[in-house]
Amino acid sequence: MTGYIIRRLGQAIVVILGVTMIAFLMEHLLPGGIARAIIGTRATPEQIALFNKANGFDSPIWYQYWVFLDHLVHGNLGFSYKQNRSVDSIIWNDLPRDVMLVGTSLVLAVLIALPVGVAQAVRRNHALDYAGTAVSFVLYSMPSYALGLILIALLAIKFKVFPAVAPQGATVGAMLSHPSGLVLPVMTLTLVTYALFARYMRSSAIDSLAQDYIKTARAKGLSERLILWRHVLRNSLVPVTTLVGLSLPAVLTAGLVIEQLFNFQGLGLEYFNAATNYDFPVMVGITVLIGLVTALGNLFADLTYAVLDPRVRY
Amino acid sequence: MVLTSTGSADASGPLYGPTTPLPAVGTKISGGTAYVLEQPGSAPNYIFPYVNPQNCGFQNFGMMFWLMYRPLYWFGNNNSPAIDPSYSIGQPPTFADGDKTVTVTLKDWKWSDGETVNSRDVEFWMNIYKAEVGTPDAYCDYTPGYFPDNVASIDYPNSSTVVFHLKKGYNPTWFIYNELSQITPIPIAWDRTSLSQPVPTATTANLPDTTPAGAKAVYNFLNGLAKNTADYAPSTIWSVVDGPWTLQSYTSTGQATFVPNPDYSGSPKPTLSKYEELPTSSGQAILDLARSGGPSAASVVNLPDQYLPQLNSLKSEGYQATNFTTFSFAFFPLNLGNPTFGPVFRQLYFRQAFQHLVDQPGWIEKIFGGYAAPTYGPVPLAPQNSFADSTETKNPYVFSTSDAANLLKSHGWSDVGPGDTATCVNWKLCAPGDPKAQGLKLAFNLDYQSGVVTTAEEVADLKSQAGKVGINLELTSHPFVTVISSAVDCGPGTTGTAAQCKWTAEDWGAGWIYAPDFLPTGESIFLPGAGANFEGYSDPKATALTEATLTAPSGAAGTAALDAYQNYMEQQVPVVYIPTATGNVGQGNIVLTSTHLGGFTNNVFSNMTPETWYLTK
Repeated sequence: MTGYIIRRLGQAIVVILGVTMIAFLMEHLLPGGIARAIIGTRATPEQIALFNKANGFDSPIWYQYWVFLDHLVHGNLGFSYKQNRSVDSIIWNDLPRDVMLVGTSLVLAVLIALPVGVAQAVRRNHALDYAGTAVSFVLYSMPSYALGLILIALLAIKFKVFPAVAPQGATVGAMLSHPSGLVLPVMTLTLVTYALFARYMRSSAIDSLAQDYIKTARAKGLSERLILWRHVLRNSLVPVTTLVGLSLPAVLTAGLVIEQLFNFQGLGLEYFNAATNYDFPVMVGITVLIGLVTALGNLFADLTYAVLDPRVRY
Repeated sequence: MVLTSTGSADASGPLYGPTTPLPAVGTKISGGTAYVLEQPGSAPNYIFPYVNPQNCGFQNFGMMFWLMYRPLYWFGNNNSPAIDPSYSIGQPPTFADGDKTVTVTLKDWKWSDGETVNSRDVEFWMNIYKAEVGTPDAYCDYTPGYFPDNVASIDYPNSSTVVFHLKKGYNPTWFIYNELSQITPIPIAWDRTSLSQPVPTATTANLPDTTPAGAKAVYNFLNGLAKNTADYAPSTIWSVVDGPWTLQSYTSTGQATFVPNPDYSGSPKPTLSKYEELPTSSGQAILDLARSGGPSAASVVNLPDQYLPQLNSLKSEGYQATNFTTFSFAFFPLNLGNPTFGPVFRQLYFRQAFQHLVDQPGWIEKIFGGYAAPTYGPVPLAPQNSFADSTETKNPYVFSTSDAANLLKSHGWSDVGPGDTATCVNWKLCAPGDPKAQGLKLAFNLDYQSGVVTTAEEVADLKSQAGKVGINLELTSHPFVTVISSAVDCGPGTTGTAAQCKWTAEDWGAGWIYAPDFLPTGESIFLPGAGANFEGYSDPKATALTEATLTAPSGAAGTAALDAYQNYMEQQVPVVYIPTATGNVGQGNIVLTSTHLGGFTNNVFSNMTPETWYLTK
């Protein structure tokens, strides 16, 4: 297991290097040059030359990349030209709030999807299953932006039950002091994510219910509740675990639409703004983080297989 | 989309908002908090008023440091681009010696630490300015050859007087609006290179700013602090203010909260308890905040144009809508230095023909719902001002595809019609001096800013109209920064590379705001090599007329120079003039104000003046 983890981490480093290289090269493809994008259109050629020299942009690109990597391994992700903040501080400020938003939604989606998916499988082709399928299809096919707008129109503007915008605090604590503002963004993300998880859980549970070990369990006289809890649920979780693992990077990116809609200042929005403003240090910093979390998410999924399925060994 | 046009639009003043405060309903209350929504992704994030090009966004001037540190001269109040003497620290300057000597007398204002705002604070500013000239950290409005390069020497004869000795005589209005306007006195308490040094006072000798190296060190220290937004408040540095507000808190999300400076010397003094700027993530978030929170959550909202259909609903919920404008004009450049199309674009007939394809009245009515002003030249028509002359209120190139077609046909182009691509059959007429133009087809790229509905609709209509005269526009879209960065000046004597000069037309959905140089002269836009001469325009007559606006004496001669300049630039169409949207610069939008907000007037340079506001119940 230890060797497997080391190998996977090694692969992750290669992936992250590749991602950073692409992001880094993109920075240098900007028409007019980086300096013009940063110090503005009024800058004179002399000012641009001085800026390039001061920031190392006049060095060969391979050397700039080397310096970037050197900073990276020392935990220095650079400084945002546009926000006057270090990239580290941007990430560490936004990440906890994103984890709270997307993490809460993810947990809620799993907690709702698992029992609903199993119940649909048990009551396959009955009214409950049809209703669950219909709800899942509607939610799955609906863009999160549209769903969010509908919830805002209904629950914030028409009935004024919840605020239309997320709490504006800069910390998790400040946001939690106004929990009602979190309801609509969490609900939107939960419903969209739930639909996918519920469909996977349903089909996985249907597969499990058809297995010989379920028939054996029933033949041995185990109660239906025990069969579902001990045999069906556990074995059905394997594919869903993969999904959850792959969803972890969404903590950083999938919230963009929700963040735009609900005035939530998170990493997805940071990435979007950085991309549109050519704030490359922020783009590259978040890209590195996404690569890291993607690798760790996959590793998490693989390791969870082994916990859920004793036959899996690494 | 097919738009129709019936002629030129009227640009009379009242159409672009009143010059007096908007009415409020209810009874005035004391205190309270007013909220202003920031533009998405544009939170103010730089506090040091000596601002470098990197931090030159309007939000930093108008929504951050000028609330706390007042410039020597203040412009744009009451929906007018004029100077506001009551807001200015300096008395109106006097000019002598053929306008070569300028004397500024300071009012008796105080810093919040008890020190007097005096000539030493101006000298401190100038020392930093001169030390950073030519570097990437030069003041963001610095233009080589102009302020402070055009100042031979400065005297500070006493604590309230500054005397500028200029290298030559300049037009007084221009010198006040575009040169003295660059000065913001800064407190001597900032004149140090580390926080551990004792706080200097006006009587402290040998302060570091008195040498160029020392001034650079002070700048580096203050710029370093200003780049650390986490330490904006509380701060022993930034809390020394002479403006009506002081920063109480600033969050990492860009939420800024200001409270009144009890020691403010100017007038009017704030009556609000707090003034808050709230970050927004998107236009939809702005709409949601306005609709769900109502006026109590957002006192001033810049609603993006695409939400125009929601306007009646918002009005019924307690907002009033105005089409206030900034003192700006919208345009997009054609690349006059493009190796293939430049020889054509440089011909006046072509630029005139292209301008005939812009349906300004149609765009204003159909795309902007009336929330835009016509643009016929570089001097804005809105808001009503004394700089635009009567000629500029009339469109010399009214929307007419037939006029455009006739111009092309009479200059050597064939296949000028719908479904065709115009072809140059006589290069001596199409592009005099460029035989390579023979056989050239009028098909080129127009790159525009993505994500802005009104811009997309404008270029779609332009493509449609151009197609009727055989001009085949290929539309592409990119983010704002890509578009504006692609517009590299490839004019004579510039250093654009072949790859950089391939662009043909770039439309970033805005144009030019006359801030922080406030007089609508063209030295930053149309002179060869000027920072914003994106198109690479070079015309000796235009250069002479532009320079005349800077040096003409005051009075009738100065007015005549400005009139001659704007009339020529209107006739020459060095850029493609397009309607100027209302609202904040570069953000076509509608200004919504709460009906429970009193005292609100528009500052045409997007500077917030909440010291005039009050709330009602």
